[in-house]
Amino acid sequence: MIEVQQLTKRYGPFTAVDGVSFNVAKGEILGFLGPNGAGKTTTMRILTGYMPPTEGRARVAGFDLQDSPIEAKRRIGYLPETPPLYPDMTVRDYLLFVARIKGVPPGDQAGRVQTVMERTHVADMGRRHCGKLSKGYRQRVGLAQAIIHNPDVLVLDEPTAGLDPKQIIETRQLIRSLAGDHTIVLSTHILPEVSQTCQRVVIINKGRVVAEDTPDNLTARLQGAASVYVQVDAQGGDAQAVLAGIPGVTTVAVAEQQGPLTGYEVQSEAGRDIRRSVASALVGAGFGLVELRPMRMSLEEIFLQLTTSDVPEEVARA
Amino acid sequence: MRNTLAIARRELHAYFSSPIAYIMVGLFALLFGWMFYSFLSFFSEQSLRMSQFGMAGPQALNVNEMLIRPLLLQAGIIILIFVPTLTMRTFAEEKRSGTIELLLTSPLTDWEIVLGKFLGAVGLYAVMLLLSSLNLVWLFVYGDPELAPVVTGFVGLLLLGAGFIAIGLFLSNLTRNQIVAGLLTYAALLMLLLVSWVGESAGPVGKAIVSALSVFQHFEDFSKGVVDTQHVIYYLSVITFGLFLTARSVDADRWRG
Ligand SMILES: Nc1ncnc2c1ncn2[C@@H]1O[C@H](COP(=O)(O)OP(=O)(O)O)[C@@H](O)[C@H]1O
Ligand SMILES: [Mg+2]
Repeated sequence: MIEVQQLTKRYGPFTAVDGVSFNVAKGEILGFLGPNGAGKTTTMRILTGYMPPTEGRARVAGFDLQDSPIEAKRRIGYLPETPPLYPDMTVRDYLLFVARIKGVPPGDQAGRVQTVMERTHVADMGRRHCGKLSKGYRQRVGLAQAIIHNPDVLVLDEPTAGLDPKQIIETRQLIRSLAGDHTIVLSTHILPEVSQTCQRVVIINKGRVVAEDTPDNLTARLQGAASVYVQVDAQGGDAQAVLAGIPGVTTVAVAEQQGPLTGYEVQSEAGRDIRRSVASALVGAGFGLVELRPMRMSLEEIFLQLTTSDVPEEVARA
Repeated sequence: MRNTLAIARRELHAYFSSPIAYIMVGLFALLFGWMFYSFLSFFSEQSLRMSQFGMAGPQALNVNEMLIRPLLLQAGIIILIFVPTLTMRTFAEEKRSGTIELLLTSPLTDWEIVLGKFLGAVGLYAVMLLLSSLNLVWLFVYGDPELAPVVTGFVGLLLLGAGFIAIGLFLSNLTRNQIVAGLLTYAALLMLLLVSWVGESAGPVGKAIVSALSVFQHFEDFSKGVVDTQHVIYYLSVITFGLFLTARSVDADRWRG
C-alpha cells in the first residue's frame, strides 16, 4: 500500500533523511520510531505530498507522489504534528470544509462529518470553535479530519504527543479501531508506544533506518545479548578460559591485543548482569583487570533514548 | 472549480467570523460616505452660485463630471489603505499556524488554492464597494446623473482592487507574519501610487515604464464612463501576474521545505 524507496531530503547542506526505504502492506500499522530530530516528520511530509524528496520515490496506493500527486493525496489522510485547525471555525464547519477539499461528494459531506465526529468522540463538540478546544479534543478533531474522506492510508505524526495519560490511552484505542479500514503509519519517539499499537516498527536515527522488525522481535533482540568489554593483563595465563567458565556467559571473543593487554568481548544470557562476577573471577584468578565496561550497540543506545518517555511507565504500557 | 469555491468560502468565513470584515466594510462605507457628502455639498454650493447668475437648465453643472468622477478617483486611492488588511492574513497566517499543511496535502492544485483565496478577498472587497455605492442612490432619487459612468467607475474600482489583492496575496506568501505581510503590501501599493505621480515629469522611456507600473492612471478612463479594452487588459494582466507569482511562490516553498 505504501512503497518508499531510497528517500533522501536535504535542507541546504544538512541531510535530514538519508536513503530511507520501507514498505507497508494493506491493513498494517507501521510504527515509525526515532528520537527527536531523527527525520520522522520530514519523511511523513514527503509521504503525504507536502514536500518533494531531494532523491528517491514514494508511492501510495499505487500512485507516485510526484507523478500523480492529486490521485495519491485523495487516498491519504494526514494528521500533522500540530493538528491543522482553523481557530475561527466550529468543529462541524471545519470538518465540512475538509470534506469539500478532500473531494467527498456534496451529498455525502454532512453524513461523513457526522460519522467521523462519532467515531472520534467529538460529536458533542460540533458547535464549539476549534480555537476553544482542549489539547485532547484538538487531537481528536485532527484525527477526524484525517479520516473524513475514508482514505486508504493514514499518516499520523506523533498522535499522542502532549496528551495526558487518559487521553493517550483513548487515542491509542481509537487508532487501533481504525486499523481495520486503513493502512496506518504513525510516528513516535516513545518506545512503548509502538509495542502497544503497531505490528511492525521502523527505527530511524539521524535520517537513516537502523532497524526494522516486529516490536516483539526488536525487544528480544535487544534484551537478548548483553555484552561486556574487559581488558586484562593476561601474562602467563588463560583469561579466556576463566571468562568462559563464569556462569551466564555464552561466548568470549578476543577483541584486541595491545602488548601484554588483551581485550575480550564477553556475551551473556538475556537479562543477566555479569559484570560483578567477571571482575571477581578475573581478580580471583590473579589477572590484572585493566578495564571493564558494558558494550552498547548503537541500536541499544537509540533505544535508551526512546525508552526515556515523558509518560509514566504504567500508562505507557496501558 | 468546486475546490476553488470551497477555499473562497472558507476565506469569507474567516473574514466574517472576526471583526475585520465588519470594520473594513463599515469603515470604507463611512469614508466613502463622508467623501461623497463633502463633494456633494461643494457641488450644490457651486450649482447654487451658478443658478444665481442665471445659468440654470442645460448649462447646469454636470453631476458626473463634478461629483462622481472625483469621488471615484479618490476612492481608488483610499482602497490602497484597505487592501493590505484584506490580504495580509491569507497565506502568512496559514503558514504560522500550520494549516497550510492541510491545504498542500489535500487533492488541490496550487492554482485552486490561490484562486480560491483571491476570490474570497475579491468577494469581501465587492461587498465593500456595493455597500458604499448605496450612497449614490440619493443622486438618482433627487437628480438625473448618467448611469454608465457610475457603473464603469465601479467596474474600474473592482479591477483596480482585484489587482491590488493579487499583489497582496503574493506578498502574504513571503512571510509567516501577517503584520509584515500587511506592511510589505502597503509599501508596494504606495510605491505604485508614487510612481504614477513621478511619471508625469519623466522622459519618453520613463513614461512607458511608468505607464506600465502606474495602476492608477489606467483607472481614470473608467471614471469617465469609458471602458477601454486596453485598460481592462492592463488590469487583467496585473491580476494574472500577481496570481502567477503567488502560485509560483507556493510551489517554491515546497522545495525549500
Ligand atoms: N525546514 C527545515 N529546514 C531546515 N532543517 C530542518 C527543517 N525541517 C526539519 N529540519 C531538520 O531536519 C531534522 C529532522 O527533522 P524532523 O523530520 O522534524 O525530525 P523528527 O520529526 O523525527 O523530530 C532535524 O534536525 C531538523 O532540525
Ligand atoms: Mg517530528
